[in-house]
Parts: sequence; C-alpha cells; structure tokens
Amino acid sequence: MLKQQLQQIRNQDRISSQAVLSYLFTDFIELHGDRVLGDDGTLTGGIAFLEGLPVTVLAVNRRTITLSKEIVNGGMVTVSGYKKAHRLIQAAQRFDRPVISLIDMPGADASVYSEQHGQSQAIADVIADMGELTSPNIAIFLGEGHSGGALAFANSNRILMLEQALFSVASPEAVSAIVTGDDLNQYLPMTASALAEVGLVDDIIKEDQNVLQNIKSALLRQLTPLQKEAGSELIELRQHKFLKVLDLF
Amino acid sequence: MSQQPKKGTWTKCPQCGAHVNQLEWGQYEQCPHCGYYLRLSAVKRIEIVCDANSFEPTVKIPTSKNGLNIPGYSEKLVASQQKSGLNEAILAGQAEINQIPVMIGVMDSHFMMGTLNTIVGKVIREMYLIAARKQLPLVLFIASGGARMQEGIFSLLQMNTVLAAKRKFDQTEQVAISVLTDPTMGGVSASFAFKNDIVVAEKNAQIGFAGQRVIKATSTQPLPKEFQKAEDLLSHGLVDGVLDRQDMKTYLGTILKLHQRSK
Repeated sequence: MLKQQLQQIRNQDRISSQAVLSYLFTDFIELHGDRVLGDDGTLTGGIAFLEGLPVTVLAVNRRTITLSKEIVNGGMVTVSGYKKAHRLIQAAQRFDRPVISLIDMPGADASVYSEQHGQSQAIADVIADMGELTSPNIAIFLGEGHSGGALAFANSNRILMLEQALFSVASPEAVSAIVTGDDLNQYLPMTASALAEVGLVDDIIKEDQNVLQNIKSALLRQLTPLQKEAGSELIELRQHKFLKVLDLF
Repeated sequence: MSQQPKKGTWTKCPQCGAHVNQLEWGQYEQCPHCGYYLRLSAVKRIEIVCDANSFEPTVKIPTSKNGLNIPGYSEKLVASQQKSGLNEAILAGQAEINQIPVMIGVMDSHFMMGTLNTIVGKVIREMYLIAARKQLPLVLFIASGGARMQEGIFSLLQMNTVLAAKRKFDQTEQVAISVLTDPTMGGVSASFAFKNDIVVAEKNAQIGFAGQRVIKATSTQPLPKEFQKAEDLLSHGLVDGVLDRQDMKTYLGTILKLHQRSK
C-alpha cells in the first residue's frame, strides 16, 4: 500500500508546486539567490499576493514538466536553497508577511557540496527562523516531505496535506536502510490521516478534479484566524501545537 | 621476566588496527600509536571535563516508552540500558568546570547510537529552560547518529521543539557551547548542535547531515579524503575549533570565564 502511494505521489503527472503557485498567487515576483553560494532552482522563493495579501512563498520543485531535471535535483533542496530560504524568511519577518511553503521532497540534498558548505547549519537556521516568525506561516504538503529537510519548511502554525501526501522522520527507503529487518515504515504515522489524528495536520485536502480550488480554500480557511493574532502569540501557538503532539506520544 | 597483561585486556584500535592494552588507552581512551579516540561513555566524559565530584544529575531522565508498538524496540531499550547503565542516551545536570557552575548535558553513543527520541529531546529542552531560569551557561556534548527511527515523526519534532526551548535561553546573557564528538549526524546536527553560541569539535569526530552511504549512493565521484571529519569542517569554516580531548576542560573553562557576567 505504501509502495503504491509512493508511486502515485512520485509520478511526474502529479500536481506540481509551480502549478499550485500560479493558481494561488498573483503578481508573483521570484527572488533569486542566497547571496553567497548561488541560486538553488530546487527551491523557488519570492513574494506575491494571496487574495490581495502580500505573502512570502517558498516552493520546493520536484516535477520536471516546466523545469529541467538538473534544476529540480529530485526535489532535494541544497544548502544554497536553505540559505536562500533563510534570507527570504528574515525579509518576511521584517515586512510582516505570512510565509506559505509548498513541500514536495524526499529530503534534503545529500552531496559532498551541501555537506562542505554547511547543510546542517543551514537547515537548523531555517527551522529556527520559521519558529521565531511573528507573522503566520502555513506549510502545504503536495507530495512527500521527509526528515529535517522538510521539517525546516513545516515548522509552522498550520500544516495542510493533500490526501495522499506523506510526512515522515526520513524517506521510507532511508528508514528501511537504517533499521533493517521487519519494515519499520508500516508502524510509523506518516499519512495525512494518521498525522491529523495526532494533531499535527490541521487540514486534509481532497484530491478530486477541484484540487487547486480545494488547496486555496483550505489555505484561506486556515490563514484567516491566524491573521488576528499578535506576533508573540503566533510564536507561542506554534510551539504549543508541536508540544501538544508530543504530549500524545 | 616482565609481567604480561592478562588476555582479553587488549583491544584493536578501530583506526590503525594496532592491538592496544587496556592500560595504554589511558584515561583519555586514546590509541598510543595513531592518536585515535575511542567513543567515551557519558560518565567518563563528565569525569574528564567536570571538576571532581561536582556533577549532580539534576535533570530527571525518564525511561522511554514504545509508543508506536514497534516489535523489538522495548527489548532494544532494555538491552541498551543494561549495556550503558543509563536510562536513555543522555545524562544531564549541574556541574562545575574550573569552579564555574554550568548546566551540562552529555549524549552517549553507547545507547542506541545516541539517537534523538522523545525523552532525549525533552531532557535537552529542560536543560535550556532550567539554565535560562537559573542564569547558567550551558555545555552540550553531542554524540548522535540522528533522529531515532523507532519513534518516527515524534523524534523528528524534537528538532524544532528543542530550538523553541533554546529561544528562551537565548534571551539570557549566558553562553551555550556545543562540543561535537563522534558521531554528530542527521537531525541532531541540523538542529541544536550547530545553533549554540560556540561550536567546537573533538579531533577526528565524524560530523554531517547525510550519512556517507547515502551520499555515495547518489554520487558518481568518490568521497574526498577526510570528508565529514572535524578537521574538514574546520577548513570549510563550519566549526569554531577542533580540540584534543586532553585540552577540552581547559578550553571550556576559558570560554566560560570569558563569558562570565558580574551580577
């Protein structure tokens, strides 16, 4: 069952971050580069309007319909992508913009280059930035999102998942490689419904022919109440959300 | 005739392969031939670094539960407890280093490779909160293979919840120091390990986010020599320094002294 679900969400025809981005936002301006190492095409970052509200967008690219295979790197964001995100989240903080992230990645980039340029530090920075944000942030899982690499974009006030999306401690392949024997994945909560049950996922988005519209309604439904909260309260609420999940364990 | 040491007190050095007698490893557990450091237990580490008998295990370490009912995990926990003499993969409490009171936490790779689970994360969160309340500097010795798979997403969520607790500590004027020892990997490396004010590594320690097996599988190039070694991180500007085990206490003492505040 997990195997089929993985096939489905890894299929090139699956809804892409770029398609969601163009549907949700208007006047999107892409902001390039991390200012030091380069510009990671795996992560599209920028600012746009969501129904008239300025927001910061972080979109992980995995589909190769509009982008080349070399650019999307299988959805594995490199150190440069996290450094770019760090820069854009700090700007979102300064201009009090909500941060919307679109997640579709097996994990962070595993390469000599990312390691030697501080992948760990860059991911930790983004986790901390997202946690300290005094504007609302919302993560939307379109496909899969695993490990600290995905958590960096999901340390947010609300987590939304498409019905078939997955969110786990590591990619199912990595989990099986680390713990051999009986497949551990069957015991780990990683589906949208399992994670909603423990209070981690706030909205499960139906994958029918109106999926784009469904994503938009869910996003607006979740964002609206958050906009009334004070900045310090948003930090507290975010921490409380995750601690409450841990209390259930 | 000189006395021969008893059989079984010889250990093969994992780095150079030399047979080293128990006595020759010495209190720093270093190979006399190639300088390799064996992985220390949390108890030994505290002995080497803290003033004699100053450590008080003031942070309670509860026993982990098998919350997801993973077959074999409960047994693994018991075996690790017996092997390490610890409740979980960390010891934490208050101690003195060169007479300066500190909050100290030491992870232990002998307990399920020091992996980060719900209890280890909870202990580290408490360390930051107690240190903030008591206005104490904090020293954290890292030794971890990353997030513990057997607690799934709940292990992963330690990465952000620990950083949230650290945020409260950061509002004090106290220093937090990470010492990255062998190994410092995955979800621990990409969270609190690299976010403390001072980040130093023990000589020879393996430090990184992705494991070498995974990187090898996705790359056509051979891994560079010394890849993910403390010295390689130093030359890439990723750590503040690389230390010999013997110099650790003096170094920490000096850093703590440099950050002392008159109250």
